[in-house]
Amino acid sequence: MEQPYDYDRNGVSALLYAIIEQHSNSQSRDWLMQRSNVLQETKSVQQFNLTFSAIPRFTGKDLLTLPTGIISNLQHAAHGFFVQHYTLDRLTRTWWLLQWPSDNRDAYVQTVEGLFNAAEMNELVALYGALPLLPWPQEWKLRTAEGIRSNIGTVLEAIMLDNPYPARYLDEPAWNQLVMKALFTEKPVHRIIGLDERANARLAATLVDYAHERWAAGRTVNPMLWRLVAGFINEATMPDIQRIWQSAENIEKDAAALACYYSPYPPAKALLKQSPRAEQDIIKGALSWSRVAEKLGGN
Amino acid sequence: MCCSQQLTEKDLQPQPMQQGYIDRIRGMRFFDPHVHMTSRTTDDYQAMADAGITAIIEPAFWLGQPRTGVDTFRDYFSSLIGWERFRASQFGIKHYCTIGLNSKEANNERLAEAVMEILPLFIYKEGVVGVGEIGFDDQTPAEEKYYRAQLELAKEANLPVQIHTPHRDKKQGTQRSMDIAIEHGLNPAMVIVDHNNEETVKEVLDRGFWAAFTIYPFTKMGNERMVDIVKQYGSERIMVNSAADWGISDPLAVPKTAALMHESGIDSNHIHLVTYRNAITAFSQSGQINEADFETVKQIDQSEKFNGSTVLRGGQQPRIDKNAIIIR
Repeated sequence: MEQPYDYDRNGVSALLYAIIEQHSNSQSRDWLMQRSNVLQETKSVQQFNLTFSAIPRFTGKDLLTLPTGIISNLQHAAHGFFVQHYTLDRLTRTWWLLQWPSDNRDAYVQTVEGLFNAAEMNELVALYGALPLLPWPQEWKLRTAEGIRSNIGTVLEAIMLDNPYPARYLDEPAWNQLVMKALFTEKPVHRIIGLDERANARLAATLVDYAHERWAAGRTVNPMLWRLVAGFINEATMPDIQRIWQSAENIEKDAAALACYYSPYPPAKALLKQSPRAEQDIIKGALSWSRVAEKLGGN
Repeated sequence: MCCSQQLTEKDLQPQPMQQGYIDRIRGMRFFDPHVHMTSRTTDDYQAMADAGITAIIEPAFWLGQPRTGVDTFRDYFSSLIGWERFRASQFGIKHYCTIGLNSKEANNERLAEAVMEILPLFIYKEGVVGVGEIGFDDQTPAEEKYYRAQLELAKEANLPVQIHTPHRDKKQGTQRSMDIAIEHGLNPAMVIVDHNNEETVKEVLDRGFWAAFTIYPFTKMGNERMVDIVKQYGSERIMVNSAADWGISDPLAVPKTAALMHESGIDSNHIHLVTYRNAITAFSQSGQINEADFETVKQIDQSEKFNGSTVLRGGQQPRIDKNAIIIR
């Protein structure tokens, strides 16, 4: 029988609570415990919703600075769930989502969908960021695709950046939409988890079309785009690689070299041979996609 | 909310732009506690930020034509705490809202019942600083019923109430609104009575309520009249707002009124109170206004370089040159 959680829920809940405990005062801890008891006794949706909304009033919204050990413990415990740049209210909301009984699949989904439907901005960030931890992971695919259509920057970031859920569960069209939209809205795409693993030919083709549109409009193209194209360079796209290879911008040249290096297409390999220095830099690690991302100033 | 008024030919002619007032208020900050940004453009947000407007409250109101289902109310409320809040932040403006069933639509009782049911989902949200704008329009029994029900809701949630007073039969409607609030045990200090004029202000202040004035061309207060009011009544418990919406209205009414007060020799402390501080004092009784957030929302890092061109992180909107014929 399918289990609600695809990771050790109790362990992760305890890890999250330990962080909350350490970073909040006794007043907010007492309040949370009291809310938790009320929830266990009443199983009331309204109580669950009200607490979710009220959390920042009790915890405050300070940015958490967590030791790397704690961050990586959580990553290991839950398929790469990443608590970097979390505020205390967001982390507490994440924990709270794990407190609603999960055994009844429909009831859980209905309750949490209700939170999504009436969520304010910060609540949306907390909800989408918590996707990797929600029970019944198959149930949130449409919700995630819906979130990718959001125009609210912080909401998009919560879904796209450092979030392992989309790569694990989205189907290809939704995944491609996510990557496209991330490039389109100028997000630091290197922070998309599963970027290389889920690269695909259809996405590469769409991105090349997108690059052509940008060029036709006299606009620049994010060099990181070619990272998604690298594995799929072919006769049709080779002229584009040659174009950025000859770019006046060093960062575009770097992207061309990297794309050629990671391409299995022989003419691309041959192009890289024209610059033994670039090839050496890549082999030594002096030139890499992360370096390109750093140069772009992505956060 | 706007309503029609006799216009003259002169009102319809294009007028020259006078930006000189901006110099009078340079460095001042303003709080507009009543503005319907849903109906406004990004140009307005930019102009408001430039004029020193730091934070705003968007009361829930009616959208110019009646809604027919509860879902459109839900989406509207949710846009006030979501999309509109984000849109404001792109211009460095902190956006709050009040949530409520407006008086006009209270007259559709079946719908009103359904809206009452979803209100608790929204009034406890972060950044919801009151129940509003509620009160009377035509002063019908249905309006009274839902006004009363929402006063109870506000009391329970310990939130301030933002009262819309009617255009027609205003004086009587204002009195009645206050009587009913008292009857329900609300503390007048928790109630902001909006759209006052020379006829209503004295009683509102005497009874201990907050008196808000809407500077709205043709139909509500003009700011010259507002100057006289402050000269006569001072600044205690008085605040001004624009109530700018889909009608001919002015989202810069608060800074313009401050400039006119300055020009008229009103003490800058009075100006500060009626265009900024009093609204914060009144609505922060919700526990939902933290002035430190006014700064946070401004911290939009414009220095990040992307590919040689500036990228506006945090979603800030780039500026365009309005006078250029070329659009890129």
